[in-house]
Amino acid sequence: MKRNLMTRVIALGLITVLMTTMLTGCRFGFASDPDDPNEVEEVEPIDTSVDTFEYDDTLKGTNIVLLNSKAEIQVALEEMSTAFEEKSGVHVEVMPVTDGDSPYTKVVSLYNSGNAPTLSILDTTDVIALAEEKAADLTEETWTAEAENYLTQVNGKVYSFPLCIEGRGLIYNKAVIEEALGEEFDPDSITTLDEFVELLDRLVEGGIEKPVSMAKEDWSLGAHHLQFVYETYDGTSEGAQETIEKIKAGKLDLESYDRMSEFLDAFDVLKKYNVAKADPLGADYDEMAIDLVDGKTAIWFNGNWAWPNMEEAGAEEDDEYGFLPYFMNNDPNDFVNQKIQGSPSKQIMLDGQQATEKEQAAAKEFLNWIVYSEIGQQMLVKTCSIIPPFKNNPYEPSDPLSRDIYERVQADKAFNASAIVPNDHWAILGASMQKYLADRCDREELIEDIQDYWDEQE
Amino acid sequence: MRSKNGGKDFAMFALPGMFCFFAVVIIPFIYGVYLTLTDWNGVAKVKNFIGLKNFGSVMKDAGFWTSLLLTFKYVILVVVLVNILAFAIAYLLTRGMKGQNFFRAGFFTPNLIGGIVLGYIWQFVFSRVFVSIGESTGWKLFEASWLSDPSKAFAALVLVSVWQLSGYMILIYVAGFMGLSEDVMEAASIDGAAGWVKLKNIIMPLMMSSITICLFLTLSRAFMVYDVNLSLTGGAPYGTTEMAAMHVYEKAFTSRQFGVGQAEAFILFIIVACISGLQVYLTKRQEVEA
Repeated sequence: MKRNLMTRVIALGLITVLMTTMLTGCRFGFASDPDDPNEVEEVEPIDTSVDTFEYDDTLKGTNIVLLNSKAEIQVALEEMSTAFEEKSGVHVEVMPVTDGDSPYTKVVSLYNSGNAPTLSILDTTDVIALAEEKAADLTEETWTAEAENYLTQVNGKVYSFPLCIEGRGLIYNKAVIEEALGEEFDPDSITTLDEFVELLDRLVEGGIEKPVSMAKEDWSLGAHHLQFVYETYDGTSEGAQETIEKIKAGKLDLESYDRMSEFLDAFDVLKKYNVAKADPLGADYDEMAIDLVDGKTAIWFNGNWAWPNMEEAGAEEDDEYGFLPYFMNNDPNDFVNQKIQGSPSKQIMLDGQQATEKEQAAAKEFLNWIVYSEIGQQMLVKTCSIIPPFKNNPYEPSDPLSRDIYERVQADKAFNASAIVPNDHWAILGASMQKYLADRCDREELIEDIQDYWDEQE
Repeated sequence: MRSKNGGKDFAMFALPGMFCFFAVVIIPFIYGVYLTLTDWNGVAKVKNFIGLKNFGSVMKDAGFWTSLLLTFKYVILVVVLVNILAFAIAYLLTRGMKGQNFFRAGFFTPNLIGGIVLGYIWQFVFSRVFVSIGESTGWKLFEASWLSDPSKAFAALVLVSVWQLSGYMILIYVAGFMGLSEDVMEAASIDGAAGWVKLKNIIMPLMMSSITICLFLTLSRAFMVYDVNLSLTGGAPYGTTEMAAMHVYEKAFTSRQFGVGQAEAFILFIIVACISGLQVYLTKRQEVEA
């Protein structure tokens, strides 16, 4: 009887082990979730020996909450919070926005339930929507001087802390291109759309059948592609705003607006060489990173936030990746053919409605610590892998995509324009762009959709 | 039923339940109706009363009516397919065939997987498994991802919903079949009723109460579908598979037009309530007692 029991226990144990290995083993080739907050990344050691930051002792023991909508830095932020608490005695709880919640919905529901987070990391449009109603005025903060060109103002006041610069363009894999061309590749040698097409043709000849990857997701098409129409007006956020106002007021005819047709010319080129040309709306985002790293494609339209995906697909930090501009015409002197778009994306907003004075002071100290303390500076760049908008920060990002954007910002080869569009712009016009991508509508219809969208806005 | 102790019993047993019901159903509902009359954007402190203007915007919102029409198509297909399928399978599974308990459990399992997870699993099936089957066999049907074509994506939605909902309905129909009185069946057989005649004249009328429940459940569930819609297609390709519930959510939270979204939700509620009520009334009339 006893032996019987033993065999049973062993059999059960074996089954459990087998089942677990089977279940964890079969992953059907999914690239794992790029935004997985539990992922442990290798981090460069942080030097904590020097710290000249002055901490306010009266704030010790204060608890503040930081709502984080940038899932890929959740772990990094927690580390920052620990480091900050050790020095200052202020506890920062980092609260993630869970999958499926939009940051805006989350923060609004927290406000409505009386549990507003002291600090919230939000997109610029969200900050603008909430600023005057909920946020504390940060215009007088000293760090504003360090990020001059990257501040977002609402009626002349600053309500948010620019957390990072993000840029987008055509990511290239240098090694793959050089192998296909059989010669050195200098990204600066391409200055017009025609030259870009020539490069693509040569890549095709070199054996890369369809060298371009482009996402079918509406956020990519509606926000990252389409917004070039507004942002390339003169390469500034003000210019983008002006363009939008003109379109809304009916003073700018999209049919004849040159940036509109130029944008579509560029988009058509990408469409033609798209690796998923046969079924562009069936393209899989996770696969694009793998394709680019493996050399099935050589170019991927995306931003520096794609690095974690690429790293997961096997890219190494010393591999050569970088950005090409979103070529829109054949004028080599046009800034769109020379510069990458790079602008502040995520912003931190300080609650001015429900937080106590002390909590606000502690939150301000945390923001100052990020900008001015040696530890905060290092952690922002190294632990969070962020491109800092603060010019006093001496550290450089380590992944090739961020480094490329960083160097371009330093060398004035990036334009800082981000269009502020209504919150549903990406969803509604993203759908129209999907239609265009799948050849289910022509240019006229797409432009009409865009015009209709803007006509409906007040 | 008047209690002797001055309503103490009522207070003890009914009040907590009533309180919860009012707190989470009635009051939010009334508040929601009130919001349809304001221009609230979800954030602002002030809510301006604007009368029926939101309902006017609903009338002009072509997207809402398209999604509603699509929802109707979806509901009809799902309700019909689920009930026929579930009824047939339940019929087979109560005839004493070998391993019927195993099959019952098997068919019920999809219902235990949440809609979101289910959607993601099927997304993988439609856009990867099908495509690789297509690649290796050359079948035209599986050549491209089903989810990138509007009508195939819609078919995919219906397919997955039928697969998910059938299990639950099978369970209810099985219970109904088990409850059929042996005496009546035997009497019918002796009287010479068999096959189709027996099914139509004896079994169907006796099963009417199960049918009422199943129709009601499938109707309301299909009208309110959101989770599978969100995770399987997300409205893609280009918004052609966006059902009414999803459109309402997008309107309220993505477009930030709370009042309009709320008004659309209210209209959807009225439609679902009317249709379900009518259905229960009609099928109830068909019910008979053995």
